[in-house]
Amino acid sequence: MDHVDHILIVDDDSEIREMVSGYLKKNGLRASVAADGRHLRRFLETNAVDLIVLDVMMPGDDGLVLCREIRAGKHKATPILMLTARTDEMDRILGLEMGADDYLPKPFAARELLARIKSVLRRTRMLPPNFQVTDAGKILSFGEWRLDTVARILLDKDGTTIALSGAEFRLLRVFIDHPQRILNRDQLLNLTQSRDAEIFDRSIDLLVSRLRQRLGDDAREPIYIKTVRSEGYVFSVPVEVSEPHQ
Amino acid sequence: MTVAASFIRGRMLPSSLRSRMFLILLVGLAIAYGLSFSVLYAERYISAKAMMLGTLQSDVAASVAVFDRIPADQRANLTDPLSRGNFRFILGPGQPGVVDTSVRGAEIADTISKAIEHRLPIRMEAIPGEAQRLQAHLALTDGTPLTIDITPRSIMPLAVWLPYVFVLQMLLIGILAWLAVRQASHPLAALAAAADALDPSKNGPALSDTGPTEVAHAARAFNAMRDRIAQYLEEREQILAAISHDLQTPITRMRLRAELADDTPERAKLLHDIGELERLVQDGIAYFRSSHGNGEKFSRIDLASFIESICYDYQDTVKAVSVSGTITGTVTTKPLALRRILSNFIDNALKFGGAAEVRVERKQGGEITITVLDRGPGIPDDQIEAAMQPFFRLEPSRNRETGGSGLGLAISQQLTAALGGAIRLYNRDGGGLAAEVTIR
Repeated sequence: MDHVDHILIVDDDSEIREMVSGYLKKNGLRASVAADGRHLRRFLETNAVDLIVLDVMMPGDDGLVLCREIRAGKHKATPILMLTARTDEMDRILGLEMGADDYLPKPFAARELLARIKSVLRRTRMLPPNFQVTDAGKILSFGEWRLDTVARILLDKDGTTIALSGAEFRLLRVFIDHPQRILNRDQLLNLTQSRDAEIFDRSIDLLVSRLRQRLGDDAREPIYIKTVRSEGYVFSVPVEVSEPHQ
Repeated sequence: MTVAASFIRGRMLPSSLRSRMFLILLVGLAIAYGLSFSVLYAERYISAKAMMLGTLQSDVAASVAVFDRIPADQRANLTDPLSRGNFRFILGPGQPGVVDTSVRGAEIADTISKAIEHRLPIRMEAIPGEAQRLQAHLALTDGTPLTIDITPRSIMPLAVWLPYVFVLQMLLIGILAWLAVRQASHPLAALAAAADALDPSKNGPALSDTGPTEVAHAARAFNAMRDRIAQYLEEREQILAAISHDLQTPITRMRLRAELADDTPERAKLLHDIGELERLVQDGIAYFRSSHGNGEKFSRIDLASFIESICYDYQDTVKAVSVSGTITGTVTTKPLALRRILSNFIDNALKFGGAAEVRVERKQGGEITITVLDRGPGIPDDQIEAAMQPFFRLEPSRNRETGGSGLGLAISQQLTAALGGAIRLYNRDGGGLAAEVTIR
């Protein structure tokens, strides 16, 4: 029998909780609810969950505190999706730094929440064994470059920010999450699909050439992203994970 | 209109308070000083003249009496001893002259007539060609003519140092007037500078409340006002945070409920309204947050990739956004704020012009201008200023659907200020709007 993903929704608003869990159940997921930190802890003691949807603004222990607590405990590998009323970019970064895997500002569309849940699950499942612990809030280093996964920026060896478009960042993440593995165009397209339901009409080849340009990679003799004839591309540089430096 | 009236209305006054006060003090003091000098001078003149005439009277009376009494042959010996500095005696008819009609001549004639007690008739004549010279003709009792030649000396010789003293005094008045004006205008300038630099979100130094009583009072009042503004801002922040939280939760509920409802035309309309409500709340929060910096740190960014990444994000969602004139190099700025500014520009260009072109230029002096150009209807020149105001909409009749919250440009302007740049809107040649942000 197929595994049904079990999602725990933690929100102080009972209506939102119930509507979200109802929607997720209707879409083939298993859903449980918790009203606050106390309920969350009790639930985790006796149940296994695949993903936690966590509201930031809650009375008592807020989402950021609970997120840090989960990351420090035995459920540290459980992916967390943060919900918050805040819309500012800075708050997204703060949430991700606390160890959340993704972030969704309230008010959100139910469809969007479902897409993000699936995307986070897919991403965490596909990570190679050395990335089994979530790397959110970490700095990923490769060659002369560092990728800040929280701020979604690329830093060169001098610390200058090289901005990436959303699609470029997602493609680079896919490569970094699968180093030294040949990925064909379909896999890349599938993994790079936007969670924001954007229309992705750029071909993978164009995106790869843009990314090479950002990394200063020569298309004829690439160092980072190599072309494997009639198969796809491979990210050929080892990746290191480090704590974000202040 | 009289000169005084126009003076009072300030037409002829210099513009700054400092020069006005200085001018009024200086002119007033100079006039008062001149008046008292004139009065003293006049008084001294009158008494000196009285003294001179008194002396003349007694001297002439004595001398004429002497000439009248002594024998005619001895008179010549006495003409010199009896002469004084301002008159001398001539035996004989003297020089021919004209009848003197001056006040001064009349005064002197009157004095001499009194001196000889009207016993001997006297005729006063002025010598033509010689100013100030008078001759009094009379006949002694024996019929011999006698002439009194009068050259009145200047009654009041002015000391040579007097002009210097006068200039020195005027200078002193000038310096003191300037010092007094400075006393008054200096604190005012300090107050103006403090008000200019006022940023209630930062705890800048309070205005010093020392100095004269009035100044200290004004400084204290200013500091109190600053604290009140800071308090209001803080309250506004708290209210906004509360609104943003308390509104987002019910909006989330509404949205979820609508999404889970049956698919009807009513549901679509409801979702549309909820979307509008969300956008208004979000823009409102963003606007008030941007009003005192967004707390972002400056960092060094690669300009070309920054601009391209923004445009690619638009292109990836099939929006007509193009880049022209990219430049290489880095710039130190607040990337999230700058991204939001440019996104607002591009969103406007897409909304009103259907397409946006982003042009980057490096100006002389290292400034960088990023311009978002469209070929939309533009903004009437007289409304460009107003377009930066919050809740501005070009056409009041315009459908809310395209009108947006009216906060985009206001947010952009405040964020630009936060990163030390400048924003400008202008209509392009050939139609369309250009929105330009300049950073250094």
